[in-house]
Amino acid sequence: MCEYYFDGKGKAFRPMIVVLMARACNIHHNNSREMQASQRSVAIIAEMIHTASLVHDDVIDDANSRRGKMTVNQIWGERKAVLAGDFILSAASVALARIGNTTIISVLTQVIEDLVRGEFLQLGSKENENERFAHYLEKTFKKTASLIANSCKAVSILGCPDPKVHEIAYQYGKNVGIAFQLIDDVLDFTSCADHLGKPTAADLKLGLATGPVLFACRQFPEMNAMIMRRFSKPGDVERARKYVLQSDGVQQTTYLAQRYCHEATREISKLRPSPERDALIQLTDMVLLRDK
Amino acid sequence: MWGAVARRGGGWRGLAAGRPPPAAWSQVVSEAEKIVGYPTSFMSLRCLLSDELSNIAMQVRKLVGTRHPLLDTARGFVYDSRNNLQMRGLVVLLISKAAGPSTADLSFQHNMVSGIYSSQRSLAEITELIHTAFLVHRGIVNIGELKSCDGPLKDMQFGNKMAVLSGDFLLANACTSLAQLQNTKVVELISSAIGDLVQGIYYENSRLSEENCLTDDIGISTWKEQVFLSHSALLAKSCQAAMELAKHSAEMQDMAFQYGKHMSMSHKLHSDLQPFVKESSNDTVVFSLNSAPAVLHQEFLGREAWIKQIKEEKGELKYLGKKCLRDAIGAGRAVPAALELCRHHGARALAALERFPPSEARAALANIVGAASGRS
Repeated sequence: MCEYYFDGKGKAFRPMIVVLMARACNIHHNNSREMQASQRSVAIIAEMIHTASLVHDDVIDDANSRRGKMTVNQIWGERKAVLAGDFILSAASVALARIGNTTIISVLTQVIEDLVRGEFLQLGSKENENERFAHYLEKTFKKTASLIANSCKAVSILGCPDPKVHEIAYQYGKNVGIAFQLIDDVLDFTSCADHLGKPTAADLKLGLATGPVLFACRQFPEMNAMIMRRFSKPGDVERARKYVLQSDGVQQTTYLAQRYCHEATREISKLRPSPERDALIQLTDMVLLRDK
Repeated sequence: MWGAVARRGGGWRGLAAGRPPPAAWSQVVSEAEKIVGYPTSFMSLRCLLSDELSNIAMQVRKLVGTRHPLLDTARGFVYDSRNNLQMRGLVVLLISKAAGPSTADLSFQHNMVSGIYSSQRSLAEITELIHTAFLVHRGIVNIGELKSCDGPLKDMQFGNKMAVLSGDFLLANACTSLAQLQNTKVVELISSAIGDLVQGIYYENSRLSEENCLTDDIGISTWKEQVFLSHSALLAKSCQAAMELAKHSAEMQDMAFQYGKHMSMSHKLHSDLQPFVKESSNDTVVFSLNSAPAVLHQEFLGREAWIKQIKEEKGELKYLGKKCLRDAIGAGRAVPAALELCRHHGARALAALERFPPSEARAALANIVGAASGRS
């Protein structure tokens, strides 16, 4: 059950970034491309933490499908699914301890805390429009970007002693992570279910107002009431979806994602040139252009 | 809450709730609490006062009227705080004190309060956080198996959501405090204990779902392995980690582990035995077919004869827990064997303590073994 999602069919987006970042930092530091075993562990742990959170999220959201297959809770039931998530987390935590570096433990433990706090942020919503957007971005950082930012930071710490490099790695991961989630939220409106591997308009159905909705709301203030009642009235989801597609919410969110990607590129460009660094720059384009 | 836990065959609270004589038990605990400096019901305070949990508390009110187990768990926190004996934390503190200051490193002794390092106090808290997180995660319901009497589907889904979140919140807090201990060996030990606990609960669950049909043919040795995971591993490894934090020798660490392991095994056996040793005319004695006496009985009798006996006694297993089946088990060799096993683990726990220098804390740990295994 715990191996269910480790089937090689995920995008492996996070471990890929972490591996590239590790090599880019190593080259920056001493021109050696060779990745350390500890850095490889961080990449694996990042994907494990991510998977554990997916399993719990699917129970929380009562989701039916992910990555084109049934969710763990659908097949084995919620009781076992929650335990499976806990087990993956404990295995990640053991692997983390075995790296033998207390700084790395602290950096990656921060991710676990952020994931939970992000989930709590998602429960609440703000009345005020500006606050609401800040709330949305904070949630996005905690639920998605923190993992990428802190695992990038962890491999940079292992690869290079310079704190400036750690900050570059962290900022790159943070900006790419937020852009990644913004695009994810756009795809929830523009992509079709078969292609995405999960149902669309899923966020609306869960009562969540993501970037495109918040932008659309500026053009169609009547959406405010729907946001506040979390799209709970019959027809809310469909109507909100129409408003979003009529508005420039999708373009605005995409534009915002572009700005985060530029920032990520600006940060990573401070590292010494290497094929891996350039791959990380190209990756920001892939984040923007992806369709699944 | 503790009723619910006891029903699932776990929990110290079963003890506090009535047996052995509650007076004796709470006396043991309150004396022990004096030794470690202050009452041990400190753990949840910081967490309970956090925004996240007060949010949950607000939300949980929506569950009133449903049968979601989270309600029981939450009720336990609010109404049962006086009985909310945090045994695991207390044992970790006591064993820390019993072991005394580190001989290897004299430099950090100033960090001690009441003979316990602050890192060991954190560890005690972490142990309780993890234990509580899993009490909460144990109470997840399978949405697909709900019956209409359980309450509206939407509420049950909501209850699950809150249970996953609050359990995760407690676990995340445990992980953060664990990282702050700055000791990779301790992080590894406690993380592996979390893994053990998950596996133990997994076995417990898979047996639980078969509560009303035939149980697996497990022997007592498998039973012991599984109960170690679900009931002993966390305490055993926390005791060991407390020694590691004070840089005590590998031998001391092992002794602390053995104490935690055998004390909790002996306690589990003791509580499994209660329905069989108490003279009761009550017809509705509840016991689990997975409790130690039942497992031993099956082993002595042979699987075939056991199944036959169950069928003869009741025809249908859903009436299990009735007096006849209990008497059948009670008449065999299983109860004395389980009693013997309980004493054996109690003795092993006491033997492990002998490596610690005599002290109040050590005496309190010995008393806990006495109370937990029903010696007087």
